[in-house]
Amino acid sequence: MTGRAPEPSDVRAELARAAAWLAEGGRSPDSRAATSDLSMDEALLLHSIGWEPIELVFGVSVTSIQVGVWTWGMGELTSPSDAHNLAVEHASNRLGQECAAVGGHGVVGVRVDLEIHPRHVDVALVGTAVRPVAKTSHPPGRPFVSDLSARDFVLLSNSGWEPLGLAFGASFVYAPRRNASTAIRQSSQNVELTNLTQALYAARETAMERMQASGIRLGAQGVVGVQVEEGPMRFARHVIGFTARGTAVRLGADGHRHIRPELVLPLDDAVVQFEAESLRAQG
Amino acid sequence: MTGPTDLPKDAKHRLDELRHGFFTSDLSVNEFLLVKESGFHPLGFVMGSSIYHTGFQGRRWTKSQELSKLTEAMYNARELAMTRMEEEADALGADGVVGVRLDVNYYEWGSDAAEFIALGTAVKAEGGKSYKNQQGKPFTSDLSGQDFWTIMQTGYVPQGLVMGTCVYHIAHRGLGQTLGSVGQNVELPNFTQALYEARELAMTRMQDEGNRLGATGIVGVRLEEKSHQWGSHTIEFLSLGTAVTKAGDDVTLPRPTVIISLDN
Repeated sequence: MTGRAPEPSDVRAELARAAAWLAEGGRSPDSRAATSDLSMDEALLLHSIGWEPIELVFGVSVTSIQVGVWTWGMGELTSPSDAHNLAVEHASNRLGQECAAVGGHGVVGVRVDLEIHPRHVDVALVGTAVRPVAKTSHPPGRPFVSDLSARDFVLLSNSGWEPLGLAFGASFVYAPRRNASTAIRQSSQNVELTNLTQALYAARETAMERMQASGIRLGAQGVVGVQVEEGPMRFARHVIGFTARGTAVRLGADGHRHIRPELVLPLDDAVVQFEAESLRAQG
Repeated sequence: MTGPTDLPKDAKHRLDELRHGFFTSDLSVNEFLLVKESGFHPLGFVMGSSIYHTGFQGRRWTKSQELSKLTEAMYNARELAMTRMEEEADALGADGVVGVRLDVNYYEWGSDAAEFIALGTAVKAEGGKSYKNQQGKPFTSDLSGQDFWTIMQTGYVPQGLVMGTCVYHIAHRGLGQTLGSVGQNVELPNFTQALYEARELAMTRMQDEGNRLGATGIVGVRLEEKSHQWGSHTIEFLSLGTAVTKAGDDVTLPRPTVIISLDN
């Protein structure tokens, strides 16, 4: 991952080579044809830092959750969060294995599809395996997995950072109900509902803590692009779930490089931001 | 509000880990790099929340009025969330919090309970200069990484996220009025006036908060109108913005390059 001025890639030669390969109808050992879900500009951007897409890779895991854990409980429900962690870890390992099998150094633009059902957790990861064009460096022992887009990957590596893997964590906490007399007393008051607030806090902090721990295990210095999902579970209203994930990153050996942005003023027509319809029926 | 005393145990543990150099951030890569470019380093994803039960206040069918109890609830709950977020940032030794989002989520726990949540990324200046606001607390700002970079280029420093809110009940029109205006082009003065007054109240309260922070101005003001779950005639007017002060000399922003992009 060097930040040197990119060699302009010769698209014409690339096309010719791809056409020749198609005409042969066979897969040569050093096949250059790529399957990827990257857009044209993302693929070109990758080439601008000397990387190329290789193949679309998948990783899937379905992990079961013990029966009956959602209904009654106290404090944290460990079975669903263990299942979540296992599922994401297995899926991401499989993604890494597929990536290594096609000779990739890592997977970018990973779409994370995560669903928590009462009895099982589904995780499906799809991304594009990438590698440096110049095969000077060996693939890393463990390919990186990142849910950042190829564009973000290019930006990061231009400024000296490298993605390491997905950092993730989840926690599910049972929120005790208020007893009837408290509920009635509070019905006309402005009060904080401490039972729910505390459960939410517990779930959030535990999940974030797990995400951090998983980042630290990857040897990362930080997690960027953290996305969180929170709220009561669809099928168990008194269980508050919190999941967090992001891409663990590490600063490369050369340190942070400043990007020096330039101010631009686009002359495109402004997009209409105000829609009169939006004022209607919001409540 | 004197220190991070109100924080739950779990939060402290997580923050301890963050203090050892590991960071988390919900900034996108663009924003992350721009925040670095402005001379700040992200410290951690901070948040505060409160699940709050709003009380009840009677409203009169024909009278436009502020519902002070509901206003108070909206203020209180947001303050609780913001204060907890600031405490987390303080515990990290942050200079400020950027990209703050204030949300209200309704769940199925009951019609009057809502979660008020404040989220943002705590940042610290790399140069060692303190950017805490005049009250000695980390600044808060709902500016995105891009806006943050731009405003820092011009020599302004954010002081705090300021808000003003007003829950207002707008009177229904009487039968006589309704019949009188059938088929006519007329302004409906009672509605107009009520909306005006509510907006002015919210804006004034926001400005007062800005003044208390000693700000020279408020940028990125947004005015949101929501009925939440109170029915169509009760509306919350919420204005939000980032209070800024001028620090140091004018910095000349480079002239922007004019571009026309070919996409679309």
